[in-house]
Amino acid sequence: MTANMIAQLERKQRDTKPIGPGDGDGDNEGPKRQKVSRPDTQELLKRMRRVDKDQSRRYRQRTGE
Amino acid sequence: MERLFGIETEYGITLENEAHIDAVKQSIELIKSYRQEDFRPVWDYRGEDPFRDERGFRANALSNHPDEKEEEKRDRKRNIKERLSFAEIKSDHILTNGARLYNDHAHPEYSTPECSSLFDLVAHDKAGERILQRCAETRSQKLGKRVLLYKNNTDFHGHSYGCHDNYLMAREVPFETLKQGIMPFFITRQIFAGSGKIGIETEAGLATPGHYQLSQRSDFFHVEASVDTMHNRPIVNTRDEPHADASKYRRLHGIAGDANMSEYATALKVGTTALVITLIEQRRIPESLALVNPIDTIKTVSHDQTYRWIVMTAEGKTMSAIDHQREYLALAQKHLSEAVGLEIDWVLTEWEDTLNALEADPMSLTDRLDWVAKKWLLETFAEEEGVAWDDPWLQSLDLEYHNIDLDEGLYYGIPMRRVVTDEQVDAALHNPPADTRAYFRGRAVDRFSNAIKAIQWDSITFTVNGRTREINLNALADAAIARQYNEALDQSPNVETLIEKLHQ
Repeated sequence: MTANMIAQLERKQRDTKPIGPGDGDGDNEGPKRQKVSRPDTQELLKRMRRVDKDQSRRYRQRTGE
Repeated sequence: MERLFGIETEYGITLENEAHIDAVKQSIELIKSYRQEDFRPVWDYRGEDPFRDERGFRANALSNHPDEKEEEKRDRKRNIKERLSFAEIKSDHILTNGARLYNDHAHPEYSTPECSSLFDLVAHDKAGERILQRCAETRSQKLGKRVLLYKNNTDFHGHSYGCHDNYLMAREVPFETLKQGIMPFFITRQIFAGSGKIGIETEAGLATPGHYQLSQRSDFFHVEASVDTMHNRPIVNTRDEPHADASKYRRLHGIAGDANMSEYATALKVGTTALVITLIEQRRIPESLALVNPIDTIKTVSHDQTYRWIVMTAEGKTMSAIDHQREYLALAQKHLSEAVGLEIDWVLTEWEDTLNALEADPMSLTDRLDWVAKKWLLETFAEEEGVAWDDPWLQSLDLEYHNIDLDEGLYYGIPMRRVVTDEQVDAALHNPPADTRAYFRGRAVDRFSNAIKAIQWDSITFTVNGRTREINLNALADAAIARQYNEALDQSPNVETLIEKLHQ
């Protein structure tokens, strides 16, 4: 990889901790219910509303493997 | 995990607001934008033969999508007009991280370096996204038009493209034993590895709009086992290209999977499959896990909106796909617990937790599994905007879930669980995994690029003082030998010294 390309690769993704074993609730009785952090829907809805309604209608690909 | 594995992903490519593009040309130009200097083709295609079949013969022909007849006519005209050589069309780049970046037919493809660590693999899979997105930004600037890349497997009009998970395994396992063990697993693996899709497709196009299913790919499998990949796809691909010593190894070329955006789903998909392959090598998979009507079942599981996922074994027993997976899990817990390392431990724990969560409440996995996250996203939008499930807008949102632009892609708007850090992904942009033959390839490209005449997955050919010297990397499937070669390369100031050291 060229050096200037590396420099241009910006880190934009939200920084979070890597997952580890035992991140469940520790309840050993029956199926575990995982803790779920619900996303901020307002920001996500803004992102979704920017999507062109016709994008999938236009989208055509050649078959691949 | 003491096994070499890697992921090859074909990306969807288009230009903003364009309905018809020359995908081959755009894919070539995208790959070329990776480098500023002149392209020098070094990939050695002699080691590739997609007609060679694991069952001991060579196919006469490969199936192709009916649309390809016309497309190939256009390809020939373009290639003649623009005087494009085979090497220019493929535009193979071998990166310093050991990966291969090229145009595969009409799609940009990123093949990760071979990894033996699950989390190295996830970091390299994500590094591939970042590298391709940077290529798209460079190309967009040049074109004055945005290039969009999608890490998905369908265009919703009957054209699929692949994300293949590959595993090196023992050749002495008969192919039929491999098929018997892995095909049922692939069929039910989609309950956690599927990326989700709105609509049911056939090769002729969209058949049932608005039907949300688990998998992007399951609509496209029509036979149990064959060498084909482009059409009449098999659940178990029989391509015999081990890219290693063929007397010792097979490569399981897994084509029955989806491209995952979720790091967690990627790790679980590859981790569980790697363990099942070990069980197959140990002849631990009983015939009782075989499923009836595999071609129908892979689709009915994907389409089932009750999430009960009932399958029938060849012995006539019905069970849920969750319980079918639990049978594989129980075998892994029983027979592989002695080999526990941190990654195997992670896989066994998360596999069990995921199956339990799928049974209790699939939506509790919104932050981990792609099909669940996408379903939650579409439900949220449909409810907020009053949009019906068969509205094409939702299909556009499905597509945009897979947009690899960190600022635009819908996946990147959801706080998903991570299994690697951004620092690990950044490191994978230019560093190969330290413990496989990919290290030798990547560092050789980084340090001795000018002396390289040809590269394949299992060999590098140098030109030294006018002489051609090939280094065969077959033996490096063994981790101890890989370490010796990698150390020799690190200690060599030039190619001459490297070759001397390796011949001692």
